[in-house]
Amino acid sequence: MKISYNWLQEIIGKKIPDPEKLADLLTFHSFEVESVEKFDNDWILDIDVLPNRAHDCLSHQEIAREAAILLKHSFKLVDYSKKIKETKELASKAVKIEVKDKELCPRYTARVIDNVKVGPSPKFIQDKLKACGLKPISNVVDIANYVMLETGQPLHAFDADKLKDNSLIIRRAKKGEKIVSLDNDKYNLDESMLVIADKEKPVCIAGVKGGMGPGVDQNTKRVVLEAANFNYENIRNTSRKIKLKTDASWRFENSIDPNLTEEIDMCAYLIQDICQGEVLKGRIDIYPKKNKEKRVNLETERVRNLLGVNIPDKEIINILKRLGFQVKGTKDKLQVAIPTRRMDISIQEDLIEEVGRIYGFEKIPSQLPEAVLVPSERSEDLIYQNKIKDILTNLGFTEAYNYSLVDKEELGSVELANPVSIKQNHLRSSLIPLLVKNVKENKKSFERVRLFEIGKVFNLNGEKVNEKKKLAGIISLEEKDKNSNEFYRLKGVIDTMFNRIGISNISYNNSNDKAEIRINDELVGWTDEIEKGIAVFEMDFEKIVELATEERVYATPSKYPAMVRDISLLVDHRTKVVDVLNIINQAGGSLVKDVDLFDIYDSSERKSLAFHIIFQSDERTLTDKEVNQLQDKIIKSLEDKNWEVRKS
Amino acid sequence: MPDQIKQNAAKEINQAKNLKELEDIFRIYLGRKGKLTEVLRSLKDLSEKERKEKGQLANKVKIELSQLIEEKKKELANKKKTDKKWIDVTAPGVKVPRGHLHPITLVQRQIEDIFQSMGFSVLDGPEVETEYYNFDALNIPKNHPARDMWDTFWLKDLDLLLRTHTSPMQARHMEKNNPPLRVIVPGKCYRHEATDATHDVQFYQFEGLMVGEKVSAANFKAIVEEFFKQFFKTSDVQVRLRPSFFPFVEPGFEVDVRRKGGKWLEIMGAGMVHPNVFKEAGYAKKWQGFAFGAGIERLTMIKYQIDDIRLFYKSDLRFLKQF
Repeated sequence: MKISYNWLQEIIGKKIPDPEKLADLLTFHSFEVESVEKFDNDWILDIDVLPNRAHDCLSHQEIAREAAILLKHSFKLVDYSKKIKETKELASKAVKIEVKDKELCPRYTARVIDNVKVGPSPKFIQDKLKACGLKPISNVVDIANYVMLETGQPLHAFDADKLKDNSLIIRRAKKGEKIVSLDNDKYNLDESMLVIADKEKPVCIAGVKGGMGPGVDQNTKRVVLEAANFNYENIRNTSRKIKLKTDASWRFENSIDPNLTEEIDMCAYLIQDICQGEVLKGRIDIYPKKNKEKRVNLETERVRNLLGVNIPDKEIINILKRLGFQVKGTKDKLQVAIPTRRMDISIQEDLIEEVGRIYGFEKIPSQLPEAVLVPSERSEDLIYQNKIKDILTNLGFTEAYNYSLVDKEELGSVELANPVSIKQNHLRSSLIPLLVKNVKENKKSFERVRLFEIGKVFNLNGEKVNEKKKLAGIISLEEKDKNSNEFYRLKGVIDTMFNRIGISNISYNNSNDKAEIRINDELVGWTDEIEKGIAVFEMDFEKIVELATEERVYATPSKYPAMVRDISLLVDHRTKVVDVLNIINQAGGSLVKDVDLFDIYDSSERKSLAFHIIFQSDERTLTDKEVNQLQDKIIKSLEDKNWEVRKS
Repeated sequence: MPDQIKQNAAKEINQAKNLKELEDIFRIYLGRKGKLTEVLRSLKDLSEKERKEKGQLANKVKIELSQLIEEKKKELANKKKTDKKWIDVTAPGVKVPRGHLHPITLVQRQIEDIFQSMGFSVLDGPEVETEYYNFDALNIPKNHPARDMWDTFWLKDLDLLLRTHTSPMQARHMEKNNPPLRVIVPGKCYRHEATDATHDVQFYQFEGLMVGEKVSAANFKAIVEEFFKQFFKTSDVQVRLRPSFFPFVEPGFEVDVRRKGGKWLEIMGAGMVHPNVFKEAGYAKKWQGFAFGAGIERLTMIKYQIDDIRLFYKSDLRFLKQF
């Protein structure tokens, strides 16, 4: 929000620090001043007022009050009601006002001003409006805006003579009603919206924008001035529905104090003073439920406990008084009366914040907690995430972080209601599509690309969304390696990775056109050469963690020497290696410790496989003779399968 | 005779091509049955005068041959070394395929390690959230203007959203665990807004929460100071708190950090947990604590001087290879 430095100076009436110094003071005790810029003879402070203070501080008056509190200046507002010279004519006779929806309009205050002379507004008003980014229009309208910027209360002026039947009715819009705004835009209204109407039709979208009909113009003589309070949720919803945000709606939707409507007197006074208007007798005020002062109890010990800083009782009380709060009660148990403008304060902690920020958060010392140090717990998920990331980077894979938001084509599953772009309007159900995209992009600069990602994927499950953590990898080889098989390369990576986290018993099964990865026969993922030169895998990360953390039994390495025999054989192209391994293990029995496929050569019809077979006993040294017998038995079993064993 | 032996042996030693041949020569001349050994052994049959003469000569030859053999041995040993293939040691090594961790992972690990050393456990939480945990349980009621502080992605036809911060885990964790507690929650969050160099539709945040009977704002300041000292690896770190507003804390702080000679950097939001959040979690009034949240990308960008947040999600190896 733009705040004029000169304006603050005028309200406070005493010398205030330089703009930059004032900005710092506000930043460290109230709210962040994002910038200070010179504007003609003035400086503009751009202040980021957050929702807790947007009830009162979207105004020069309250920013000035903050500054005065911090500077320890006294602060007093002008009482404009005493400056108004009322005529004998009763305002309540001149205009009939009826509030039909008191929930949505808790207070409606109005004044009527006769014989106004509409023309341009004086320079001091125009300068301030411009400084705050508003365009001057005419004296009446500018004064209403000026008062809003100073006090925070939005005001609206109607040309009384254009109101049908001199009436204003605050009601919900009827179905099908329309309005043309002062900016000449058309809006369709519905029953959820509050309007100000005359006898005939809506003349103003309550709290948002005035209508063209009774707008003030050069010929206006009699003005009805409105200062109302509207329900913040309703204004917020209306503003969203019609996609129109105004200075007024912005203030109303942050919820403002109904007692602020009395600032109508400042506006009436300025119209009397500047436009030679004659203010009619009386303030029309429909205010059934008065907003009263709250009382909040405060234990001073709690202030010190929560902030961890030793502020004496006396200083706490002093700060509360500077804030304009009335303090009663004993020394350490205080009853604090909160002015209605401070809608943000309702509990003890709110007061602690007030005391803390005025005292200065920067004065809070650093003090390490006294609490007993509980050893931290690290989840298995995190341990294995770190391990697997390290293993894969050691195997030459680089970690990718991709968007969770994808196109439907990129295996998007759950659709977003309000996407930012149509290319990112679904949640991903797989990590693969973007990794493939990454590889293709990277291929422009690199021959060889290996990537992995650990991340969540999403799937619809009735009214819910299932969220699963996946691990995926992708490998793409150099041109000259085109003959080698990426699939086996990636399979080697998978096996190595599992090995390193203590998972064995991995098996692969053909399923449709990809290979299932199973551990202890439980499905954990799949791997596939999705296109020439690119192989991928994707696995259920949570399942891997579960399997890796199961207790593993340690086996003592055998003290006796191992003996190695090689076997190579020719089999049919479609014969699975796993079947050959099974035969070797069955025939060899318990003395076969390990079988290692060290060469595979695939021609079009037949493939040649070569294995190292490791024989070892845990109890004794094996003799050549018994190993040869076992080897012969294995060969025979293989030959029984009609596989050609090559003898060397 | 010894002269003859000496001449032949010297010649052979000189021609020896390797240690094996040299050993053979030693055996032939100086071994137990070697030619010179024979000569020395035959001395006992000679007259004293002859024995003396020949003996001296033979011993001299023995010493000379031994020396020659030793020298040759050294020469051969040296030759073996120099014979080894000549290597240009200045040529580049063969590249070992090397992968790289993502910079966010590197920074996240550092954050986790530092906080774990201070007794904070690390938690994970769901990215698809309910309105209750993302807002209501955190004292952000429906239609409250404060909700505008979070631009939210909603899921179509479902009463669910993508979490806008890691704070929902405060509510989820407190609901199931009793104080005292110290946790941090790093994770992915989403924001419904246009992307630019400092904003993206997804980002990583880490949330911190510490609850105890006497946990104060002064404790918070000490913990974050310690964190930044370790994170920036310098003891010269200043932390500054100033007022801010987040509905789930009261008072709320903005945390600025400055390294020696550097500028103040706005780095995290924090505050003392709001009593309504404790109430929602079912905690008794005696508990108090602090919570904080910071963007991991922001810390990563400061640490590695990266100027565009969008680089993190492009999976461009030219970028990733640098970490």
